[in-house]
Amino acid sequence: MTGVVGRSVESITAALRSVFTAERVAATDGFLQRRDPRVSLCSLAGLALAVMITRTLGVTLLFGVLTVVLAWLSAVPLRRLLARSTIVPLASALVVLPQAVLLPGDALVRGFGLAVTDAGVAYVVLFTLRVGVGVALLSLLVMTTPFSAVVAAMRNLRLPVALVWVVAITYRYLFLFFDELQRLILARNSRTTGRSSVRDGWRDARRIAGTFLLRTLDRGERVGRGMRARGGARPPSPYGRSRAVDRYDYALIAVAAAAVVGSGVGRWLL
Amino acid sequence: MAPVIDARGLTHEYPDGTIAIRDVTLSIEQGERVAVVGANGSGKSTLQLALGGLVDPSAGTVEYFGETTDAEAVRDRLGVLLQDPNDYLFNTTVREDLEYGPAQLGMARDVANERIERLAADLGLRDLLDRPPFRLSGGEKQRAAVASVLAFEPDVLLLDEPFGAVDAHYRECILELVADHEGTVLLFTPSLDVVPELVERVIVVGRDGSVVADGPVRDILTDRALLADNGLRPPATVQLFEGILDTAELPLTVADAREYLLNEEQ
Repeated sequence: MTGVVGRSVESITAALRSVFTAERVAATDGFLQRRDPRVSLCSLAGLALAVMITRTLGVTLLFGVLTVVLAWLSAVPLRRLLARSTIVPLASALVVLPQAVLLPGDALVRGFGLAVTDAGVAYVVLFTLRVGVGVALLSLLVMTTPFSAVVAAMRNLRLPVALVWVVAITYRYLFLFFDELQRLILARNSRTTGRSSVRDGWRDARRIAGTFLLRTLDRGERVGRGMRARGGARPPSPYGRSRAVDRYDYALIAVAAAAVVGSGVGRWLL
Repeated sequence: MAPVIDARGLTHEYPDGTIAIRDVTLSIEQGERVAVVGANGSGKSTLQLALGGLVDPSAGTVEYFGETTDAEAVRDRLGVLLQDPNDYLFNTTVREDLEYGPAQLGMARDVANERIERLAADLGLRDLLDRPPFRLSGGEKQRAAVASVLAFEPDVLLLDEPFGAVDAHYRECILELVADHEGTVLLFTPSLDVVPELVERVIVVGRDGSVVADGPVRDILTDRALLADNGLRPPATVQLFEGILDTAELPLTVADAREYLLNEEQ
C-alpha cells in the first residue's frame, strides 16, 4: 500500500504494535519497577478509577502531573508514554465531539446554524483529558510491569478467573492483530510500485480489509492452538513476580486509596 | 506397556472439503523415534495437530499412554511444536514465552528457571530473553519456539519442521537437544537429510493423506521408487552412493559416508 493512507496505516500499526510490548522499560530500575506487581496493579488501577470518577478539570490535571512524576521516577520516557496514551483519548474525543454543540451554555462560536458552547467545550476537554490520564496510568502499569506479572497479580488478588482470562487473551490478541496487519502491509508493499493517490490508497485499504479479517481469524485459530499446546486451555497461571512489600508500596496504595475516596467524595459534593 | 500414542482410523476434513488425512492408523511406542515424512500438502501438519489433540478429527480416535483419549488430560506430557514459530510466540517477551508452558502446566518455578536458562544458553537466546518475539529474526524465532516446547520437559515431542530457517550451527544444537531427549520423538518433515540422524522408524504419508509406508529408516530411505511416488527424494548421501553400493550398505548420513570413504582409503 502506498500513498498517504498506506503510510498512515503503516505508522499507526507500527506504533500500536509497540504499545502491546513490554519492551525494555519493564526491565529497567525505577520506582514502579521496584513495586510488588499487586501493588502496582491496585494503585495504578485505583488512580485510573479516581480520574474516571472526578468531574473537575483541576483535579484531572493534578492526576496528570502525578502520572508524569510516576513516569519520571520510573525512568519511563515521557515521549513514549505520550505516544502510547494519545490514540485512545483522541478517538474518544471524536466520539464526544458533538457534545460541544449539543450541550447548552454560552455560545463561543457560531456557524452553520450551530453554536459551540462553553459548557460543551469544557465537557469535551475534560472527558478527553480524563481518558488520556486514565490510559496513561494503565500504560504506565504495562510499561513498568511484565504482562505475565500483571496477570499473575490478578490471580493472586483472586479476581474472577473469567476476567483474568479475558484480559490475558485480549492483550495477546491485540498484539497479534497489529502484528498481522503489519505483516500484511509489508507483503503488500513488497509487490506495489509507484506512487498512488489518496483515492487509490483508500481503494487499496478496502481491498486488504477483507484479506486482513480472514488472516486475523486464521492466525487467531493457529495461535489458539499454540496456546493449547502449552496448557492454554487451563486458566492463566503465569509465574508471579511478588516482592517484599515495603513502605513505598504502602505509601503508593495509600495515595491511590485517598485518590479514589477523594474523587468519590468530591463528585458527590459537587 | 501401552503405546504413548495409538491412533485409529484418523480422518480429517476441512470445512472447504479438503481431506487432509485419510484413515490413518498408527501406534507409537514409549521411547520410539519416528519421522513422519511426506510431500508438501500431504497432511503431515494436520496429522501432527490431530495426534497432538489440537484439532478434532472428523473421524477416528487417538489414545494417549493407554489411559485417555482426552489430550488436555495429558497436555503436560505432550510437546507439540507447531510449524510456524509466529503461532507459538504470543507473549510480550521471549522469557514470558519460555515460561508460559511450564507455568501453565504447573512446573515448579525454580525447576523451570533452571531449565530455561540452560535452553537459552544452548540455543543462543540469553541476550534475547527480554526482547519482544516479533523483533526476532526467523531463525531466532524458531530457536525460541523449540526452547518453548522443550522448557516443560514433555514425555513425547511432536515436532513439525523444527529446523526451518535455523542456521547450520543452531540446527546442530537443536538436533543434539532432540537426540538427547529421553522420551518419545515424532518428527514431521518433508526433508529427509536430517531423518536418519534422529529416528529409527519412518512413516510415509502419501499425497492423499493416507499412510503409504511404515518401516525401518534404512528400508524407507533407500526405496527410491516409494519416495519418488510420494514427492520425496532420498538423503543426499544415498543419492551419491546409489548404484555404487548395495542397498544395505548405502550410507544414510554424512558421518556414515565419511566413515565408508575413510575405510575404503585404508
